[in-house]
Amino acid sequence: MSGEESFSRRLMIAATMLLFKSHRRPGVRGWELKHRLGKNYMRVIDALNSRLKQLGLEIKTVFEEGEENNLDRARFYVVLSHPLTMSDLVAAGWRIDEVAALSITLSILSSRGGKAPLRDVLEVLETKFPKWKAETYLERAIRRGYIERLEDDVLTIGWRTKVEVEQKALLKAVLEAREEKEIRSD
Amino acid sequence: MRRIEVTREELERIIKLCENIEKRGLDPFTVNIRELLEKLRRIVEENPNLDHYIIDAETLYRISALIALQHKWLREKAKALFIDAQMISTRLVAMDKKMLVKAFLKAWHPIISLEQITPQRLRQGLEHFLSLPPRSGSREFGWKITDKEMKLAKARLELEEKAMMEKIKALHRELLRRFEEQGGALDYWEFIKGKNFDETFERAYLLSFLITEGYVDVKRNPLKNEVKLIPHKEQVKRKSPTSLVISLRGEI
Repeated sequence: MSGEESFSRRLMIAATMLLFKSHRRPGVRGWELKHRLGKNYMRVIDALNSRLKQLGLEIKTVFEEGEENNLDRARFYVVLSHPLTMSDLVAAGWRIDEVAALSITLSILSSRGGKAPLRDVLEVLETKFPKWKAETYLERAIRRGYIERLEDDVLTIGWRTKVEVEQKALLKAVLEAREEKEIRSD
Repeated sequence: MRRIEVTREELERIIKLCENIEKRGLDPFTVNIRELLEKLRRIVEENPNLDHYIIDAETLYRISALIALQHKWLREKAKALFIDAQMISTRLVAMDKKMLVKAFLKAWHPIISLEQITPQRLRQGLEHFLSLPPRSGSREFGWKITDKEMKLAKARLELEEKAMMEKIKALHRELLRRFEEQGGALDYWEFIKGKNFDETFERAYLLSFLITEGYVDVKRNPLKNEVKLIPHKEQVKRKSPTSLVISLRGEI
């Protein structure tokens, strides 16, 4: 097998590993990629990333807390590189209410350093939804991995938020959204 | 004596306060650290006895943890462009649902991944489906499971159960034999070790049934990191059973 053929085969293996879920959670660890693709696996990942970018996707690397330089322990995911539109969201089966509740919850948690009492989050959610709905949306977010519930009813940012949501961008968007509304009302 | 109790209570209150801030993610700058340290110094000087030193040390540790939390809090705030949490909450209340969703969409890059079905999973699904009891009355849609198919599925399940029971019994006999040969408790890891990971996993799985049913006792020594097995010929009833999680190395 020529070098080029071997490289394109490794590209295919990497794409399969990253796109097909093989564990309970999506994503592949660096050491798993190294095992299948060889020690220069980052070269394969970079090449795959540039190809995926043409399709509006990208590979995201999430490091373990406290191990910011350890690629072997990091997790690799394929994520959408461009933002979704409202119609995309509805077509994907999400409810506007549910995403609004998620937006509120994650904004509160991000603005408080990633942790907040459940009571405080529910207080804001209940200004938009009835209590039972707010609790249902929170439970669903916990199940999906966007938030985690610790003992003493404290909520924290979940693994999925760390992968999917740019927290700084979310806070900025919340602030800017208000300005857009003000401009419109003017 | 009364004085000592009061200072102890005071220290416990400080510890509780620090713990609460840490656990609930509250603003660590709401506490005046200098004041707490001055109070602690006064208490230490007034009560120079060994009993008191332990709780003094605990308090100092909690205050130090709070200082570390202040450092972390500042770093997080800087990362979040020093946006005030209260301001965010006020804005969230003022925004309508569509605005909230639009804001979220600007920052959201969902994971792309596909679920895949393996032949093994497909077989499990079919077995589960066939084991479901038939709905009362006739089905109006979908396909019917005939009585014959149901009998076949049940017979297959019974066969599998029988094979499993045989394996468990064989493992029990092996355990008893090795226990007699060795004349003492057997090491868990040595016993479950098979030719490959699959066999090791199977032996550990089968052994867990024997342990649950009371045919084998497990003794764990956390200091030596040892897990020992003591088999019984007959089932032994346990007064207060507990759970023990043992993870096997190998990727699942």
